[in-house]
Amino acid sequence: MRRTPVWIFLACLCTPSFALYPGEIYREDLRIQPLRDGRVSTTFSFVTVLEGAVPRNPMALGQVDESQHYALFPLTLGQILREHAITELHLTLNAGRWNYDNWGHPHEAGVGTGAELWAWMGASEITTVDERWSGLRNALSGLFCASLGSLDSRRTLSPTVAFPLSGSTPTFAPHELRHASLPSENVCTENLTPFLKLLPCKSHAGLASLLNPQKVFDADWHGMGIHVIWKEDTGVELKLTLQAVFNPVRTSTGKRRDWNLQLLFDRSIERSCPVASSSSITVILPEEKDYQIIPEYPAHVDGLAIYDLSSSSNFTIPSNIAMSWPSEHSFQYPLPPLTPVTPISVKRTIHGTTQTRGILSVSVTNNSPQEISAGYLEMVPALLTLWMHTLKVEINSQIRSDLLSGLKYHPPSPQSNDRLSPLDVASCPHNSTKDHARNFHRGQQSFSEIHRTSTRCDERLGSTRGRVFPAPSIVSRYPSEL
Amino acid sequence: MDSVAFANTGSGFKDPRNLSFERDWIRRAVLASYWIVIILALPFWWHLTSIERLALPTSQVRSQVQSNIVFPIAVQFDASISQQNPSLNSQVQTLLRDSMINEPGRWRGIDLRLQDRNDEVASSLYTVALGEQTSITHSRHLWVSKTDAQSATRLSYILSDLIAPPESSTSHSQRVVQYSDHYRLAFTLLNEDATPNRFVETWDVQTALAEFIFPLTSRLSILHNFTVESQVQYHAPLAFEPKRLTLGDTEASGLTQEDLTVFINSAEWTLASSVSNDPVLHFVLFAPSETHSPMNIVDSEGRPTNQSSFLLPQWGSIFILNNELNSSSLHLSYNDLKPVFRNFAAQLAALLGVPPVPLGLSMEGSFLSDWQLDALLRRRALQNVQGSQDTLHSIVKLVDQINNMPVGQVVRDDVLDALASLHEAYRTAVASPALALRWSSKALSMASRAFFNPGMLALLYFPAEHKYAVYTPLFASISVPLVVALIRDFIAWRRGSQDDRRR
Repeated sequence: MRRTPVWIFLACLCTPSFALYPGEIYREDLRIQPLRDGRVSTTFSFVTVLEGAVPRNPMALGQVDESQHYALFPLTLGQILREHAITELHLTLNAGRWNYDNWGHPHEAGVGTGAELWAWMGASEITTVDERWSGLRNALSGLFCASLGSLDSRRTLSPTVAFPLSGSTPTFAPHELRHASLPSENVCTENLTPFLKLLPCKSHAGLASLLNPQKVFDADWHGMGIHVIWKEDTGVELKLTLQAVFNPVRTSTGKRRDWNLQLLFDRSIERSCPVASSSSITVILPEEKDYQIIPEYPAHVDGLAIYDLSSSSNFTIPSNIAMSWPSEHSFQYPLPPLTPVTPISVKRTIHGTTQTRGILSVSVTNNSPQEISAGYLEMVPALLTLWMHTLKVEINSQIRSDLLSGLKYHPPSPQSNDRLSPLDVASCPHNSTKDHARNFHRGQQSFSEIHRTSTRCDERLGSTRGRVFPAPSIVSRYPSEL
Repeated sequence: MDSVAFANTGSGFKDPRNLSFERDWIRRAVLASYWIVIILALPFWWHLTSIERLALPTSQVRSQVQSNIVFPIAVQFDASISQQNPSLNSQVQTLLRDSMINEPGRWRGIDLRLQDRNDEVASSLYTVALGEQTSITHSRHLWVSKTDAQSATRLSYILSDLIAPPESSTSHSQRVVQYSDHYRLAFTLLNEDATPNRFVETWDVQTALAEFIFPLTSRLSILHNFTVESQVQYHAPLAFEPKRLTLGDTEASGLTQEDLTVFINSAEWTLASSVSNDPVLHFVLFAPSETHSPMNIVDSEGRPTNQSSFLLPQWGSIFILNNELNSSSLHLSYNDLKPVFRNFAAQLAALLGVPPVPLGLSMEGSFLSDWQLDALLRRRALQNVQGSQDTLHSIVKLVDQINNMPVGQVVRDDVLDALASLHEAYRTAVASPALALRWSSKALSMASRAFFNPGMLALLYFPAEHKYAVYTPLFASISVPLVVALIRDFIAWRRGSQDDRRR
């Protein structure tokens, strides 16, 4: 029996630097916002924090990893993160076009159509970043039943300025970014099921019990996101988000914009998730005061109605939350011209009379009274060649090339014919002139003729989907050094 | 007149001069050019359609399959025993020899020798000495009590059970997982349905692992590497409704033998690992919901048993948590987990094929003795060797049978590597069973890699008939006019030369 301590000691040697997580915290939150076009935006966010956890050092990839012991954090995702030594991970799967002008900025950024995956990884000689990126894609496509495996090197870029690290920068290794998007990816129930399995209470209790796939995927816009961020002071944070923009005017019989949880999701919250440290529903109240909300909200923080659902609170779970406009007979759509909600609105179109050549035009409108400087990133498939010498910047048919600065263009590499040609345009396109009467300003950048490089171009451009281009990115606070 | 006569000859071929207006040499040049192209293309066609079929070391494989791995084992009787019963050694030897003849499968690969004194040093030297009671120690010692030392039969039974543990039944061998270098051990705490007043939120899994599992895994580290991980799930519903039982005035739910086979709800429980191909052994601690608690395993007559755990062959083990859960605590302390993890450790040993200690024998220390570990090493090495021999034999047989199967350099190298590793395994078995196991495991993985090489499948489904079916419609239609034109011209040329001679 005296040998037992020796075995314990040996066992400790076998599992070096035992991960003793001080704690795991899980909180969930639902934000509901009625929009001005009668739609209702709902944003679920489920956050799990591994306190004190540190991403795996890629230099130690050859060695045996420390044991993973989780209570709330999903083990399946933890395994993937540690196997490939991922510091930061963002995956979004969306369907539909986010209407910035009417809906404003989304609560969770990353609303580009289709699948978008980007990850920050530490560089290491043992396994290169590209090998791990390929492993990560395949592991995630298996986990989420999405065709992320096809995000190969032809679609992968490293636009570090537009996608910086959201959390802290680990000191153990220089970090590299990999970004890829697949605009044609469809989002459906088979992606929601594995998403729900990552939650501690799955869809059995708590806010997630509202997530009815038949209703969520019937919404005008819907999307989900998985974000893993490391923050030095807190630890590894996993944030699962699900956004859906419902249209009660379309689904209701009387063309009314009244909504309630039962109507939106066709489900109700029967019980709270016992392991959630906080669980709340926040309704962002509209500015006009002619609405009525049931039940009367207990907490009233300017313009917000907050319902606490956590099991510790003495507030009983409301069976339903309903908002109605009793004075309104039927919803009247606001008539144009409407002032867009966001300071900048962007429209990107392809003009042209033939299938082989065309013009890609991006029009950016500044809706605010001040001058705005913004960065614009476009990633173009390699089969389209953009002729940079035809780039034109116009405001009200006047050429204004001085508005554009820091233009960068990365042509596709000659080795791989099909590689994406990233067009990293750092531009300062639009200053809204104060003397403009309606504080409205339009600039036109028609920066290309589209040249045909392969016959596939015909099919792609001629197809009804027409979404050859991944969503562009606008970066508002652009670093000064560029 | 001549041409008319030619046309009417029995050959049936018309005079080409009647059919075309060209001169003979132009027509023949055109025809020849076709045939030259065809003849020049033949080597290319042959090269492009031939299959790379390297010769496999068939004779080597045949000879390796014949030979077998042998572990020499020496058992030495201490002077204390020999003095008490001088004839014991020879009696035991006779009994063991009988057992070897009667059960050759059990003693395969073991070359046992009994000796009085330590005259030669073997790799595995076991000593038998007189002691207080019959027991084994961690080192290779067997202590025999005075009463047991009297009986040669008893001693030979103990020795044969220790050195060559019986592969008792098929159920036992089916329970043991297939050999792998690396296993993942996944410990999962499953709450059937977490409600605020009754669920387990956390468990002292790491303390329990360090106390019960790690000593075992560190002993087994010469055979396998282990990755240990744990998770907690709060909603893990069953896929079936357990039977209701009424026990006196209390209600309980019962799991029948059929229920146990479908207990795992793979659709709802996220247990699978998506990150590696290593085999996973699952250890599930299942906390039934309020409505199903307490949950008992019932026997075939429907009576509840006191059994609270069961083993799923080659998958893992499940422990049903009943009494340990009182409603006030959300945390399972180390003390609560003791019976659970003691059970898990025993199940893990069973799943990995650790031979049990023979009946009537006590063991110093609670974990694996060297006797058991050596027996396991020998059995695993023997299984690996047999597995790789079988695989190599099948490759050779398959390649012999299917003439269309390509054999590339990769396959050949893998087969050669496997043969070399097998040879090393035979060689090292004399000195070190652990090294022999490493080599045998390498041989097995090489042999299966060669067997499952995707390049060998490429043309497997295209038999010769298929090729004829493809070639005939394509080439027959092209070749008929060419051949006919050739014959016609040949006949015309012969006829022409005969005419010349006649003139």
